[in-house]
Amino acid sequence: MTEPILSVRDLCVDYATPNGLTRAVKNVTFDIAAGEVLGLAGESGSGKSTVAFAIARLHRPPAFITGGSINLAGTDVLALNDRELRAWRWRDLSVVLQSAMNALNPVLRVSAQFADMFKAHGVSGKADIRARTADLLQMVGIQPERMDDYPHQFSGGMRQRIVIAMALALRPKLVVMDEPTTALDVVVQRELLEEVAALRHKLGFSVLFITHDLALMSQFCDRVGVMLRGELIELSTPSAMIADPQQDYTRRLWASIPPLHPRPGETLVRMKETPQ
Amino acid sequence: MNSLPELGTRPVLEARGLTMRFGSFCALDSADFSLYPGRALALVGESGSGKSTCAKLLTHVLTASAGHIFHAGRDVTNLTGRKAVLEYRSAVQMVFQDPFAALNPAHTVDHHLTRPLALHRPDLSSAQRREAVADLLRAVDLDPAITLRKYPHEMSGGQRQRVNLARALAVNPSVVIADEPTSMLDVSIRLSVLDTFRDLKRERGIAMLYITHDIATARYVAEETAVIFRGRIVERGPTAQVIDTPRHPYTRLLLAAVPEVGSPFGEGNSLAPLAAQVRESCEGPAELTEVSPGHWVRLARA
Repeated sequence: MTEPILSVRDLCVDYATPNGLTRAVKNVTFDIAAGEVLGLAGESGSGKSTVAFAIARLHRPPAFITGGSINLAGTDVLALNDRELRAWRWRDLSVVLQSAMNALNPVLRVSAQFADMFKAHGVSGKADIRARTADLLQMVGIQPERMDDYPHQFSGGMRQRIVIAMALALRPKLVVMDEPTTALDVVVQRELLEEVAALRHKLGFSVLFITHDLALMSQFCDRVGVMLRGELIELSTPSAMIADPQQDYTRRLWASIPPLHPRPGETLVRMKETPQ
Repeated sequence: MNSLPELGTRPVLEARGLTMRFGSFCALDSADFSLYPGRALALVGESGSGKSTCAKLLTHVLTASAGHIFHAGRDVTNLTGRKAVLEYRSAVQMVFQDPFAALNPAHTVDHHLTRPLALHRPDLSSAQRREAVADLLRAVDLDPAITLRKYPHEMSGGQRQRVNLARALAVNPSVVIADEPTSMLDVSIRLSVLDTFRDLKRERGIAMLYITHDIATARYVAEETAVIFRGRIVERGPTAQVIDTPRHPYTRLLLAAVPEVGSPFGEGNSLAPLAAQVRESCEGPAELTEVSPGHWVRLARA
């Protein structure tokens, strides 16, 4: 593997509760290489989103990072102060959330929202900003002529494309995607992720992809990790993990996916939710 | 109108030429289907295909622009009077997509189940009511001793969806309409929740409409599947046939988009060209044709 762009070492995140600290992320360690797509899967409450939020420094009390280190392209992420963090976010790392399409301001034209983002990061010049916005929209398959439309004039899938275009605007090294397609239907989901896969080859960014859908993750990611109760219990390539899962939990998780064409005699695992 | 597969029993709920227009936009175009006791029909389609409009028509949230709904042989398309609407709504119950929004955060599970029983079955004594609530929870595989006192936020999504199902069952419905009941749940627990839906439907003779965009799960709940695209049912038949030998291009697209373990993106399996082609090819007039017994496909007129 090439030099990692992201290194997470012994990351611990605690939540302050009335009954003391609860550890949501326990000594999680992994790397992401330049241009790599790494998936983190797990059930609700497994800690996968907490990891993503911690890497983007988006965690808020009662969540606290209580140990470990995060390094992105030479930057000690946990040492950034507020001012440095504002400049660093979006320039080095951007985030696409599940309901990101609802993150667009409904009363502002799409072009105005791109302009806000560019200005916040020191890009000025109206013509330059409009030209760059047009390029970005084109890149994700949205007609640039529509940049002055309002968000409600686009479908959910198109709005999610717009958010992805915005996330790629400053050529970040890492894009964190937390369930980016969960609210979309399967055809749109597939088209969107195919596009992201093509763009990362073209632009070279890395992706941390968070999902509860293992089948989807196995199609989209170079390597996949499985989280259970805050721990990263297994990490390997999809093919290795499918062929020979190292943990019983991982094996059951794969076997719980309802297959489209079940083979005769195949036993599907009925999982109950893991008690929190 | 098309003839329907004979199943020996009469349908509980029927839609005939059911149509909903919003201005010039046709959200649902002449839908025909029937729901039978103890059986489920999966209505599968993408966002905006008309599947939730269909649910809203069947539950009388919307009134159809054209066509008819029959319940137990009676035309219920235009119900008038509060009593008739209430009666119909207790017979046709709904389970919603969002297990978090469908329960009142300020009330316990006990309250959520006791209230419909108190309203719809005033004949029960309070002791009988307590017993009925416990029975409902056991029916959806929840332990009454643990669950009764819980508030929604103390439960997982799957547990909340089970409570929603129990709430729907509380009034002894003849029809349950489940609109994407598992799409907000983890993939890993969907099967066990769907098992509960399937078992209850059989045991209680409930006719179910299972609305989903996840055609892979249809096989585990529904005997029959109808695929809906842009407001029109484009293919309908026994679920295994629709999934294993799809005939309509949109059904094939939907199946190809289902995430499948071990077939990575790229490597010449890009779906985008097929998707664009299908969206284009499905324009224009077409009629339903029976391609094998009970398996109907809407094919373009030659």
